[in-house]
Amino acid sequence: MKKSTNLIIVLTTTAIISGLVLASLDNVTQPIIEAHASEVLKNAVTNVLPGIESYDREIKEGVEFFLGKNLNGTIQNVAFQAVGNGFQSKLKILVGMDLEMKTILAIKVLEQMETPGLGTKIETDPSDKKNPGWFYKQFFGLNLAKEKISYLKNETPNKEKGQIMAITGATISSQAVVDIINDAIIKNRKIFLKQG
Amino acid sequence: MSEQNNPTENSLGRLVLSSSPHQNSNDDVKKIMRGVVLALLPAVVFSVYYFGLRSMLVIMTAIAACLVTEFLLKKLRNKKINEGSAVVTGLLLAMTLPPSIHLGYVVLGSVFAIGIGKEIFGGLGNNIFNPALLGRAFLQASFPVKMTTWTPTKLMVLDAKTFATPLGGFKFGENIIHNFSDYWNGLIMGNIGGCIGETSAAAIALGGFYLIVKRWSDWRIPVSYLLSVFVLGGIFWLINPAQYPDPVFHLFSGGLMLGAFFMATDMVTSPETKLGSWIFGIGCGFFLVLIRLFGGLPEGVMYSILLMNAITPLINRFTQPTVFGEVVK
Amino acid sequence: MAKTKTSLLAEFTKGLWQENPVLSMLLGLCPTLAVTSSAINGLSMGLAVIFTLVMSSALISLTRNLIPKEVRIPVFIIIIATFVTITDRSMAAYVPDLHKALGAFIPLIVVNCIILGRQEAFASKNNVGRSIIDALGMGIGFTMTLTVLGSIREILGSGMLFGAQVMPDAFAPWLVMILPPGAFITLGLLIGTANWINAKKG
Repeated sequence: MKKSTNLIIVLTTTAIISGLVLASLDNVTQPIIEAHASEVLKNAVTNVLPGIESYDREIKEGVEFFLGKNLNGTIQNVAFQAVGNGFQSKLKILVGMDLEMKTILAIKVLEQMETPGLGTKIETDPSDKKNPGWFYKQFFGLNLAKEKISYLKNETPNKEKGQIMAITGATISSQAVVDIINDAIIKNRKIFLKQG
Repeated sequence: MSEQNNPTENSLGRLVLSSSPHQNSNDDVKKIMRGVVLALLPAVVFSVYYFGLRSMLVIMTAIAACLVTEFLLKKLRNKKINEGSAVVTGLLLAMTLPPSIHLGYVVLGSVFAIGIGKEIFGGLGNNIFNPALLGRAFLQASFPVKMTTWTPTKLMVLDAKTFATPLGGFKFGENIIHNFSDYWNGLIMGNIGGCIGETSAAAIALGGFYLIVKRWSDWRIPVSYLLSVFVLGGIFWLINPAQYPDPVFHLFSGGLMLGAFFMATDMVTSPETKLGSWIFGIGCGFFLVLIRLFGGLPEGVMYSILLMNAITPLINRFTQPTVFGEVVK
Repeated sequence: MAKTKTSLLAEFTKGLWQENPVLSMLLGLCPTLAVTSSAINGLSMGLAVIFTLVMSSALISLTRNLIPKEVRIPVFIIIIATFVTITDRSMAAYVPDLHKALGAFIPLIVVNCIILGRQEAFASKNNVGRSIIDALGMGIGFTMTLTVLGSIREILGSGMLFGAQVMPDAFAPWLVMILPPGAFITLGLLIGTANWINAKKG
């Protein structure tokens, strides 16, 4: 009887002390972690929506849109997240577009865990020292008024036709990026343009 | 071990089917290794014909690098250099490489094949995986772009410097095999993009038959491998001909012929029993179709064989025949 | 075993080579294989383990007479988990990029056998000073191995060391080395080399 009381006391005390320590630690670190996360998001949004001063978050039909505004507060452009499966991981890409959703302004890969050295080239290509971001930068200024994005392998792509060049050796990752963005645009266009 | 009467043939036949270590008689291993090299000659000749002397250079580099690696590692371990298996490993490795590959990679792959693939396990007879395929797997995982940059053969009139293989074309939507003449010239005779020794199904099959006739390789493995690919590939083709390639295409494209006749039949890394050989071949075929149709890679011969190599000890254990007189539990 | 007084120096150095947690005892292999795709990842994983190990060892050694035998494992785990969470949250707050790179493996230090193993085998039976020395030795041995492993894989797999280019431009990185197979091959060769050296020594 006395023994078991002792056990309970020791375990409870340990747990309480541990809880207190962690709770106070959380008070310190949680704001920093959150601030960092929102900083990352803010950087990403201003990255894909060039020339904006601030942005608003708006949720339409469960989809999160970031509306970029200029100095006067007029809405200039819009960004949203496109999520889908890559070659071996979940890809999360932030896409910035004009208000009519006809032209891609810029994109940014937020999350990816593709094959190092191959699929990771969708974000950075270490073998291209001058322009490691060549792959995703191809999406900047793609005209999608008529066509969806498509990828080519051996020909020169035409931006007016929505074409980009696939990564050699990582066709599936390239294709995944293209498909994910296409799907997100088609879906979000309906939602976003419905209300003007 | 029934149908052989000739005593020498019998001992060779036993060598194929008995448990390791196989090298209890060096002469036999040497003889078989010479036989394998001879059997590969038609494919070598075809590759030189299609890809030029460049492919000869790759082959020579691989063989030399394998021999040197084996020599150095045996020296290090104070073991004597034995049979010519390094020559076969080098030759087989070279057959699976694209003709345009940088010779540095050939050396690296050979060192890996002999070092990690064979010697680290204690030399020939103790290795789990087919050394040549392991060397290729290392190169494939290390330099995926270089390893899949194909050059057209010398007989093709094309603008492009690089070229898709039939399987790659199928996977990524640029089908290049359309009619019978494509099948004949391309897949069977080998006038097509691909690895040095894998493009001509006819030349490989010729060498393969030689090995089987000489009883240096177990016919059950290629037969069950090819048959299961044909049947399984055929089932998918019947389900949806628009999406899946036909079974004949499966048989003659990629490295299947080379894999089935020369890689899967490797004595050390394939099962010892007859039933085991059937299981081994069918398993290879199953994984191959799975990888080709649903995997991220266009070709899966290498991985299908390596996977089955890994479970060969298990197959051996489960297919061990009961000893005469043993009480069946 | 623990009865014979070993010198403090021996207590420290045994973790470095003779009883190296990875090379000789094959403990903590999961983070060893998973995070060592670069030297910096290996080093920071090692530092996180050193911190957790030293802190838990010190605390458990201090309280070893207060903890009843019957509940020692739950108490050890709570203490270890607390220190791991401190490490995890602090890294997320102050070095977010590194935290992202090490991913789930920081929280998983809780179940790293090296840590619980040292508490059970050493800290709960020895005084604070010795426990800290032992934890430091083991932690540094672990860190060294992970850093060496990470360095080899990074040099061959991406031509860099601690993020700086060390191989000539003509060198084509062996991608396989920063993929999981590269971890197994390199670790196998490292353990083999260690055994070979030990065998040579006699």
